[in-house]
Amino acid sequence: MASKFNLLSTDLQSRSEEHASPHGGSSPRRIFATTQWSVVLTAGRAEFEQAQDALETLCRTYWYPLYAYVRRRGYSPADAEDLTQEFFAWLLERKWLGKADPQRGRFRSFLLTSVSNFLSNEWDKARTQKRGGGKIIALERDEAENRYTWHPLSYRIPESSFTPEQSFEWRWALTLLDQVMSRLSAEFEQEHKKEMFEALKPCLLGESSAQPYATLASILGMSEGSVKVTVHRLRQRYRQMLREEIASTVSSPEEIEEELRYLFAVLTRR
Amino acid sequence: METFPVCPVCGITVVPGAPQGLCPECLLRAGFETKSGNKSTDGKLATALAPLEEVAKSFPSLEFMELAGHGGMGAVYKVRQPQLARIAALKFLFPEKQSSPQFADRFEREARTLAALSHPNIVMVYDFGKVDGRFYLLMEFVDGLTLRQMFRARRLSPAEAVGIVPKICDALQYAHDQGVVHRDIKPENILLDKSGQVKIADFGIAKMLHLPGNVTLTGAMDVIGTPLYMAPEQIENPEIVDSRADIYSLGVVFYEMLTGELPLGRFQPPSQKLETDPRLDEVVIHALEKEPDRRYQQVGQMKTDVEKIAQTMPPEEARPKTNVPPASRSARPAGLVAEAQAAARAALPSKPVRRTSKTTRAFRPKIAIVAGVIFVLAALFLAILFLVMHK
Repeated sequence: MASKFNLLSTDLQSRSEEHASPHGGSSPRRIFATTQWSVVLTAGRAEFEQAQDALETLCRTYWYPLYAYVRRRGYSPADAEDLTQEFFAWLLERKWLGKADPQRGRFRSFLLTSVSNFLSNEWDKARTQKRGGGKIIALERDEAENRYTWHPLSYRIPESSFTPEQSFEWRWALTLLDQVMSRLSAEFEQEHKKEMFEALKPCLLGESSAQPYATLASILGMSEGSVKVTVHRLRQRYRQMLREEIASTVSSPEEIEEELRYLFAVLTRR
Repeated sequence: METFPVCPVCGITVVPGAPQGLCPECLLRAGFETKSGNKSTDGKLATALAPLEEVAKSFPSLEFMELAGHGGMGAVYKVRQPQLARIAALKFLFPEKQSSPQFADRFEREARTLAALSHPNIVMVYDFGKVDGRFYLLMEFVDGLTLRQMFRARRLSPAEAVGIVPKICDALQYAHDQGVVHRDIKPENILLDKSGQVKIADFGIAKMLHLPGNVTLTGAMDVIGTPLYMAPEQIENPEIVDSRADIYSLGVVFYEMLTGELPLGRFQPPSQKLETDPRLDEVVIHALEKEPDRRYQQVGQMKTDVEKIAQTMPPEEARPKTNVPPASRSARPAGLVAEAQAAARAALPSKPVRRTSKTTRAFRPKIAIVAGVIFVLAALFLAILFLVMHK
């Protein structure tokens, strides 16, 4: 699933902000304008194309939590598939020009509100006049259904005790992480370091979750020192990409850390 | 019923759809850290980082200004003490097990030791305690940058480096004399304020958070220090560590100050990498001895050696061989901080842009469009020529 990412000039800023002193010193303000959701929110007439592109990209990335929400609302897999496609088509036809409200908040909440609205008001209409034609998202029903049944909490708590909104949010968090990890993996692959990535990725979770550096070093044919440095870099890139991905779904830089905390709370819900 | 793998860190089931097969909870938790090295292993981090208003309620005598930073170890707020008309830093600690009585004892002991450290080059602890379930330290607020931020702005000159190192030595010698080992000396913990003062931060925090005897504690190794700056004996056995571990870490930092790189494996002495005074090599190497017994035994000795060399160092040393803007004329840290802050504000790339491929990728579509246009024009031109010739 190749995603279009607008070139983030946040790249440089986020790198220097990573080591921000807790004791003060101002970090440079991020140039936020190029991240996707903020593009949608702030697009003027001239940037309509970009806004559409940005919204489309976001939809393609985050369709799965939406599908799960629809299913959780009680629709059959067949209906859910139709509905999801129709919803996105409807969303993209709405034409955001002039309706841009910078206070629109996060894409996550926007999407949830929109689909809820769609189900209440628009679905009946849309059913009768199906747009058909090209599908916005590449939804594989079997794949979607399979993923839908995977929910670790259902091993302890039945999913029926979670609201559709909660289901949506949990899968949203998962999709976001998946997106980040795919990018990270792709980056290493591009440098022909796929093996290294596979061997070292458990290190992202902490020292105790991976084999000792000495073992990793001999597996990869590297020096221990090089392994440590690579792991360090891997962690930094991961953290950076995580924030970049969140940035693409919120409307201002201030919201990034808050959204990060929120997503963590979502994942640790018991 | 299928059995799915279990996360080695937190023990919950890892579903098939998990990102790259890693536990999503632990992965997201790992994303919190903004300072290098330490990671939070406390599952309650999300609730612990409460909104400002909530935190402020626990401290009615303080004015909360802003969240100055947070990471795996805790959050830091910039606060004001109106009664004393001063700014301070309020730092919260999130240990692995907040409720552990071991931690509470250790915290109190260490905090008291820290509060007793009074030195111009050590960030002062004004107060400490536990309020509404949160452990906190009220500390001196340093308005400046970390050495890490300096590194990102530009390379330090050897003159600047030999100006800073003795100050760090002062702080460390003082602490060591009080029986306190820092355990986590690294560029992120070395601050330079606007007036050029060097201040060491987070003294003993590492020790405070370490719970002995629990080797399987997730992230325990992380909490103690960044492997990159840790002495070999510290990595080997974090329990039995003495002041000489700090000397090693300082050696790493010194090397990084001089060369911009870390001394990994069979590293080259600084003078072979750049035009630095070769006498400094000895100091660095002596500090970086793997065997603690072969290292400087007192950080004061290191200071003496560095100062002796500094006195007779040729002026305007080290034009680095790489493409880095020349160091400022004044070796005074104050000028350095202002420069670094200006550089940071102008959002200069910290290193020569490694990702040239990424930036040029953005231009490729434009180049393609231009090439396309040229092609079309050329084709048109040829077509016209063809018609004219056959008229």
